[in-house]
Amino acid sequence: MNHRVVITGIGMCSPVGGDARESWQNLLDGRSGIGPITLFDTRTMAVRIGGEAKGLDPARLAGDFPGALHEPDRKVLFGLTAAGEAIRDAALDADALRTAWVFVGVSLESFPLEQAGMAADMDDLIESLAAKQNVRLQTPLDRLAQIMGAQLGFNGGQITNCSACAAGTQVVGEAFRRLRAGHGEVAVSGAADSVLNPLGLGGFSLLGILSTENDRPQHACRPFDATRQGTVLGEGAAFLVMETLPHARHRGARIYAEVLGYGTSLDAYRATDPEPAGKGAVRSMRRALADAGLQPDDVDAVNAHGTGTPKNDIAETCALKEALGARAHGIPVTANKSMTGHLIAASGALEAAASVMSLHTGWMPPTIHLDHPDPQCDLDYVTAGRRVFDGNVVLSNSFGFGGQNATLIFGKYHA
Amino acid sequence: MSPACSNKPWNDAVVITGIGMVTPLGCDAVGVLDRIQAGASAIAPTRNFDARPFACPVCAEIGDFRPHDFIAEAKLIRLMSRDAQLAAAAAHLALQDAGLDSDRFYAPGEIGLYGATGLAGLPVREIVPLLKASTDAHGRFDLVKFGDAGLRAVSPILSFKILGNMPVCLVSICENIQGPSAVYTPWEGHGARAIEAGILALQEGDARCALVGACDVKTHELAFLALEQLGLFQSWSDAGTGLIPGEGAVFLVLETAATARSRGARIHAHLAGWNFQCQQGSPQASLLESVLHALGPLIVGAVIAAANSDPARDDAEAAALARMDLADPLVLSPKKHLGDLFAAAAPLQVALAALLAGQLGQPVLANCFGHGTEQAAFLLEPP
Repeated sequence: MNHRVVITGIGMCSPVGGDARESWQNLLDGRSGIGPITLFDTRTMAVRIGGEAKGLDPARLAGDFPGALHEPDRKVLFGLTAAGEAIRDAALDADALRTAWVFVGVSLESFPLEQAGMAADMDDLIESLAAKQNVRLQTPLDRLAQIMGAQLGFNGGQITNCSACAAGTQVVGEAFRRLRAGHGEVAVSGAADSVLNPLGLGGFSLLGILSTENDRPQHACRPFDATRQGTVLGEGAAFLVMETLPHARHRGARIYAEVLGYGTSLDAYRATDPEPAGKGAVRSMRRALADAGLQPDDVDAVNAHGTGTPKNDIAETCALKEALGARAHGIPVTANKSMTGHLIAASGALEAAASVMSLHTGWMPPTIHLDHPDPQCDLDYVTAGRRVFDGNVVLSNSFGFGGQNATLIFGKYHA
Repeated sequence: MSPACSNKPWNDAVVITGIGMVTPLGCDAVGVLDRIQAGASAIAPTRNFDARPFACPVCAEIGDFRPHDFIAEAKLIRLMSRDAQLAAAAAHLALQDAGLDSDRFYAPGEIGLYGATGLAGLPVREIVPLLKASTDAHGRFDLVKFGDAGLRAVSPILSFKILGNMPVCLVSICENIQGPSAVYTPWEGHGARAIEAGILALQEGDARCALVGACDVKTHELAFLALEQLGLFQSWSDAGTGLIPGEGAVFLVLETAATARSRGARIHAHLAGWNFQCQQGSPQASLLESVLHALGPLIVGAVIAAANSDPARDDAEAAALARMDLADPLVLSPKKHLGDLFAAAAPLQVALAALLAGQLGQPVLANCFGHGTEQAAFLLEPP
């Protein structure tokens, strides 16, 4: 028997806010969280802008997660911040958490090369690092799940997904599938990421996908705009508390929205580029619709992957038209990355949270700085401020480096 | 506790129809099993770097791997880390073994791909030039020099080589697999989760066929450094023995029994059950025992153990097995012959159990008890 699965808690830590309330308000108000990078000296780098997350307070975090106090990896701290907020928001008790699942999405280990010191050759590098026991060159990507599990239990399973930019969407989808099938009652699911470090920013900059508009950072990420030059890296985390409907009802939980469907696919095209017609994205959306038992005409809005790279936005527009048919032209499409930048693994989780909030509050956030419509991106993008939304179904897309696609479908909760 | 699969009607059962592996003991799966049974070992002092800074002096390397033997497109090989090259080779061998490499019974969108990868293998040879170009006269890392000259000293695709999902995505590109997917990281239990994801995809009808597996390379300096700093070499300091880093990739082709039979596929084994438990902290025999208990009364002819020469872990596994009252099964410990493949250890152990179940005509247990929280076991039955 399949269970209905609902969202009962939300936590966010993002470039537009240190918590869910602030992040959501600033998304609705169209405020950009992108600015000059202050975390390290970028003066000789081609890209000097990013979306630094707000509200990080390790001392406060250590109250809930003692392991956080000396944690050097920013994405772990963002994840703990957002997960802690989501759990408090859902008012989950310790018993529920002990048997719950945790699903964590991440992308890339951070390598603090700046702490490595001089290296004349490989042996020198290794000896230098081996001697510095306090310098960890790698933090395993399951570190966030491990800290959460050590403190709160999560004996249902602790799953770390590294499906790049699709990871944040996949973890919500995988949690949904598990709970729907009866493999547990509660899951805390989300993603955290930060590549705003020298090697992360430098590495992505070398790929040629980042905007270099360093002199106007707040305008630099313009999904679907004809003058867009690339995406902007951001950092942060978002987590959702997900429950089976009977479990949520039994404890009288507030329900934000319902998860209706999930789909994934692979482009099998190129490691470096999306498939130009968005064929993989089409398969992902169709799988999610089929999983939800919905037709294209049932979709009322889209929270797009919308990165602001020339290739992605055209491919996604093509894919939306192919997957949704005529319906694609009649529904609002928004791209949160115009304000947050690209949070890599965490972007899908943040956009899932925003999709849920759209259903819960009746508002769609705008896509800011979309001032010069691209003729090849010809859908009804939400511009000129927030828009009233009275629909029932929101579709959220994420497309990862390497060709991993993932789609979630959320619905307004009806008892 | 994750629910164990049991008593599924045979037509709904998930079976293994293809096995591909690239390991320090070879690329021919049956030969690897034979060599383990014959007591062969690929463990030797590190060849590519001086291991003196580390407590562990040995590893298990793949000596003669040539990616061009498995990957047709030379341009793609240049994009790949060693992990990805091993993954692509093992995945190709698995599809070939299943008879799905050239004659595609399934459409590309019907095949799911679920994989696991280990700690990112930062290519040291690329990083040293970057560090050299980024260091000031006093030996300090200088961000100004990094942005100015350091980044020019590395490959533009460096990020792609260290993204955790990339080996699996490159498998999809090499083999034109377009179905559902997910990638997990970074330990043995996460490799086991990749297998489970493939099973669930078949059972839920999300895919008609699933390619599941993992790759990992722990035979380079930075992997040793990471393992040392994580305390995983501690038993080498304490007891003069411990886990031995290895490298390799293993993929399995999963199908439902009904579909496999309908296309006339050879079935290696039936995945009769599996179970997971979460472990916080050091290994506990009682927890491992509970993983095994959930599989029901175990009557097995052999056990593919997870034992990795770390005394605490080996003792916990031995105690858990002793409490199961197994009737003196054959016990093989592959990690003692070809090193610990970490993320790839689970598919390796399941693959060996599948082959052994076929050889013995009896069920075989595959333990996947490794570092990290996820502890799993799979029960393989002969076809």
